[in-house]
Parts: sequence; C-alpha cells; structure tokens
Amino acid sequence: MRFTVGASALALACALALTPAWAADPIKIGLTGPYTGGSSSMGVSMRDGAKLAAAEINKAGGVLGRPIQLVERDDEAKNEVGAQVAQELISKEKVVATVGFINTGVALAAQRFYQEAEIPVFNNVATGTIITNQFKEPDYDANYVFRNSAYDVLQAGLMVDEALAQGHKKIAVLADSTNYGQLGREDIEKYLASKGVKPVAVEKFNIKDVDMTAQLLKAQQAGAEVILAYGIGPELAQISNGMAKLGWKVPMITSWPSSMQSFIDIAGANGNGVIMPQTFIEDQTLPKRKAFLENYYKTYGVTKIPTPVAGAQGYDSIFLLAAAIKQAGSTDGAKIRTALENLNEKVEGVVTTYDKPFTAKDHNAISRNMVVFGKVQDGKIVYAKPEDAKNAGIVRLKEKTSN
Amino acid sequence: MAILLQLIASGVAVGMIYAAIAFGYQLTFATSKTLNFGQGEALALGALFGLTLVPFTGYWLMIPLVLVFGFALGAVVERLGVRPAVKIKSEYGWIMATIALGIIFKNVAENVWGRDDLKFPSPLPETAIQVAGVRILPMELLIVAGALLMMLAVEIFNRKSIWGKAVVATSNDIDAAGLMGINTQRVITLSYSISAMTAAFAGVLVAPVTLTGATMGAVLALKAFAVAIIGGLESGLGVIVGGLILGVAETLTGFYISTGYKDVPGLILLLVVLSIRPVGLFGKAVIKKV
Repeated sequence: MRFTVGASALALACALALTPAWAADPIKIGLTGPYTGGSSSMGVSMRDGAKLAAAEINKAGGVLGRPIQLVERDDEAKNEVGAQVAQELISKEKVVATVGFINTGVALAAQRFYQEAEIPVFNNVATGTIITNQFKEPDYDANYVFRNSAYDVLQAGLMVDEALAQGHKKIAVLADSTNYGQLGREDIEKYLASKGVKPVAVEKFNIKDVDMTAQLLKAQQAGAEVILAYGIGPELAQISNGMAKLGWKVPMITSWPSSMQSFIDIAGANGNGVIMPQTFIEDQTLPKRKAFLENYYKTYGVTKIPTPVAGAQGYDSIFLLAAAIKQAGSTDGAKIRTALENLNEKVEGVVTTYDKPFTAKDHNAISRNMVVFGKVQDGKIVYAKPEDAKNAGIVRLKEKTSN
Repeated sequence: MAILLQLIASGVAVGMIYAAIAFGYQLTFATSKTLNFGQGEALALGALFGLTLVPFTGYWLMIPLVLVFGFALGAVVERLGVRPAVKIKSEYGWIMATIALGIIFKNVAENVWGRDDLKFPSPLPETAIQVAGVRILPMELLIVAGALLMMLAVEIFNRKSIWGKAVVATSNDIDAAGLMGINTQRVITLSYSISAMTAAFAGVLVAPVTLTGATMGAVLALKAFAVAIIGGLESGLGVIVGGLILGVAETLTGFYISTGYKDVPGLILLLVVLSIRPVGLFGKAVIKKV
C-alpha cells in the first residue's frame, strides 16, 4: 500500500513536472471496431472515415491548439476483446473519448468502463436500441454514451412501414440468432403489434448457416408477400441466394447491413432490388459529401466505400466530438459530455448538419426523418425511391421531438 | 409433397457436405485410432488455397493442385502433431496437438487471406434447375457427386493398391501388420495425408455454396464430427448415412418444428447413439482387452 501511495505520488510529481511539455501534445481519441472478421467491412469503413476527419481537423490546426491522435484498436467483434480494449484505452492510453463500436454486443460489454471512468463514448455504427439506454437517467446521474447511427427501433419501424406502404399484409420476419438479430426482431414484432399486424412467420438462422431452405419454405408456405430480414451481410446474402434457388421472388427489406460489400459480393445479381434503411448514400450532390467521397476514394484507392453508412457516420462522429471538445475548452470527460448535450456550434457532417444533436435526455443524433431507403443495384447502393434521389441535395435535419 | 422433397433434397446436399468432411475423420481413426481435430481448418485452407489458384487455372485444373496441397498438409499434421504423441504412447497428446495445429492454421489463413467471408466463383451456373418439382442448384448436385466419387476413389485405393492394402491391414491390427513387415508409421502418415486431402477437396467443393474464409470450417467440422460419431468412426458407409440423417433432420426440423431448434435433433441423435450404440450405427464393436 505504501508503495502504491509512493508510486502515485511520484507519478503525480512527474506528471506535474511534465505538464508544460504536454501543451502541444495530441488529444488522444480511442477508435475501436472490428477491423478483421465478418463485420470488418463496416469496421474498416468506419475507421477510414474517422481517420479522414481527424486528418482534416489536424490540417486546420487541430482542437484547442492540439492535434487529434486516433488510437486504433481492433475489437474483433468479440465482446470480451471489446471490454479489454476499453480498459486498455482508458487506463493505459488515457484517451479523452472513444468513438466506434459496430457490434451491439461489444458496445454493451465495453461501454460500462467508459461510463465508470466518466469518459464519453460515441457509438457511430452499432444500432441496438438499448445502447444509449444502458446508463439512462434516473438510474445514473449522467449518461456518457452517445450515438450517431440509426438505432434499431427507428430501422424496425421504417422497415415495417415500408412493407405496409407497399400494400403487403402477410409479413415474414427472418432474424439471425445473435444479440443484434434478436433485439431487432423484437423491435419489429413490437412495431408490427402496434400496427395490429401479426407476422405470418418468424424464423431464425445462425451465423454461417449454409442453407436457408427451411426458413424460406416456411415463409413461402405461410403465404408471405414480403420478407423483413434482420442480420448482417453474409447471411442476408444467403437468404437472397436461397430465394433465387427456390425460384421464389418477393420483396426483401433488410436491416441496414445489406449495404455491406460482403452482401453485394456474395448475393451478386440475386441481391438486386433488396432495400434497407440508410443514413447515407454515396451521392455527390452536396459539396461536403462530394469532397468527402473524393477524398475517401483518393486516400484509400477505391471506387466505392465498402460500407458507405459506416464510413460517413465514422467521419461525422469525429467532427461532433471535436466540436464538443472545443466548446468544453478542456479534455475533461464530464465537460465534454455537457458540451455534447448542449452543442452550440452547428456541425456540418456528411450525413446531415447537426444542430443541437443531443440533449441531456436524448443521446441519439439520428431521427427517423433522416433515414432513407437504399437499394442494391448492380453492386452499388442507390436511393430506393425517386423522390429521395431528387431531394438528395436537401440536408435532412433532426426533428427535435422525434426521439 | 413437393415441399417434403425440396426439404429432403436440400438436406441431402447439406448432409453430403458433412459426410465428405466426416470421411476424413474416419480415415485416420481406422489406422491410428487418432483424429485430426484441425479437419475444419484443413478444409478452410484447401478452399482458400483453391480460391487463390482459380484465377490462374480455372476451377477444374485447380482441383489436382489443391489435392496435392491437402496431401502435404496432412503429412505435416501427422509429423508435428500425431507421431510424437503416438511414439510415447500418449493417449491424449494428439488431441491437444491437432487442435493447436488447427488454431495455427486458422491464424495463418487469417493473416494471408484476411478474415472476411469471400465469394468463391461457382464453376457451374448459379440458377437452380427443376427436377420433379424440386429446385436444386447444379453446384449441390456436384457436391453430392463429388463427395461420393471421392469416397469411392479412396475405397478403391484401399482395396486394390498395395499401399491401400497396407492401410487396411494396419486398420485391422496394427501390431500384426507391423510384424508382417508393413511400415505402419508410414501408413499412418499416408492416412493423414489422404484425410487432409479429402478435407481440402471438400473445401473447394462446398465453397461455392457456403462462404469462403478462415472460419468456414469451424461449424462444418463440428457437425461432421457428430456425423462420424453417429455413423461410426470406422465405417465409410456409416459417415454417408450419418451425414444424410443429420442433414435431412436439420431441414425437416427447421420446417416442421422451428428454425430455432434446427440443430437440436442432430445433437439428440448423437446422445441416443452414444448411449445405445457407442460405436455408431455402422461401427464394429471391439472388445478391448486390458
């Protein structure tokens, strides 16, 4: 014990002595997501988007006169690795905030460490509705979890409304057996119930499932006119391929990950026409989006962002955080959180222009009106609806009361 | 009726995938009473290696190269993982060693080919054909035919060639075979090589309908292990029957009971077989004298 006290006193002394040298030291921001594995196309797009944002900010002089330094860590989409990474970023790297998380399970396992350390954590891709409610008032004094992705309740509602708007009464729900799929399925079923509709079939599939015949035949026999599928790219693609095999063609509406490159590659032509909620479509209508896309393509030598939504949200998350740090005038976690909840500056991102995106009660920057339907068409994600394509140049602002 | 036939057809296709992998377990168990627990990784390596070759050679020319690759891989596994354990008469050493090698192979594959699930170009058209009201992919037919052909080829090799006869002799009684002048150590190496070769072949066979990646073999190899236990670890016919039973049970349960319980009947069957006939449906009961 004495040793610990002595050691911390020494550390403190060193820290004090070194403080002047830190003046131009970088502001460390954690950047965590799956950069390898089945969801890596989302993780890598998110990371690359965030890196572009940091580079732009640093080029313009940084924040509080200090450059932003991103500390990248691969969570491998594994809950336990995510928790380890969180502890490492907090205790060893001493980040002032962290952005990332693709997988709902990882976010739930990791973000409690940030909450305890009073460090803001910014979900830019993970969609589980529970994520921003995990440390909600009144159980907790302050919630350090923020998000700028379209959460599941929004997506489920949009998917159901779209199916009903297309005039389908018989709806089949297919969901993977992970946290993500099953939480999404619950949201869909709840929303359907609120509309007085009972799905004709609710089926489950596992990650890496080879054959979807049983699930699809059940939906077909139940007379389903539309399939709502909640899962990630590879398995959603297997559903598309399975439908083609059975020679059964009904509209398929999925959660957002059918915009992943893996869906496009694996489903090929069978994936054409699948629609999914998106916050961002690769179009160059607005100068900000055009600049972002051109920069992304040039920097990473690609002609398409592997998962455009993840890239755009990753990019925006860094700008939101930077604006909050600037407003807080400090890297203190509590001050950054307060600044995020009362952001004065309008932040122009590529998804939208964020005008007071968060309040003390609402930690979701995306509202329902900001989400459009994308459609898979010959290897690209395009606007599913002509009116959305026509209005692409209009920035969809957050509706204050919607969340 | 059409539905039932469709479910059975899909079940048979999946079941033959399991059987093709389970066949590899059976080969090494017959000679050395050991298994390669890295069979799933051998499958993944075979498929990934094939995927790399396809752009240069095309699908059909790639197959012999993958077979050679699998053959060499099996020899490496036997040398590094199994022989030391068998030499010191360790009962369990080979289990840890083959699992460890499997993990190493998986990590190597992840480093070389990345961890994304990749699309394996299909050599046959990807539109289903209709046979008697049942829709089936040409690739699924190829899997069934290819797996059966592979097993047939190995059986013929075992029965007709001198090396094959040595394999059979070693399977029957390793000590007697040794006394008769058969180099049983080499025979065991050979059986591992053939086993990994079948796994690599199964890999390129199933890759066009499954996804290709370092972890593609994990679930398949586990199911195949259940198949090998159900069918009997010593019987080639057993793994085919076991594979078909498991595959069809999965699709039928998925449809008639619930897709959430798809994997349950296979496991129940496994427990039932283990408690009633521990050697498997087609296994030979051997009394072990101590």
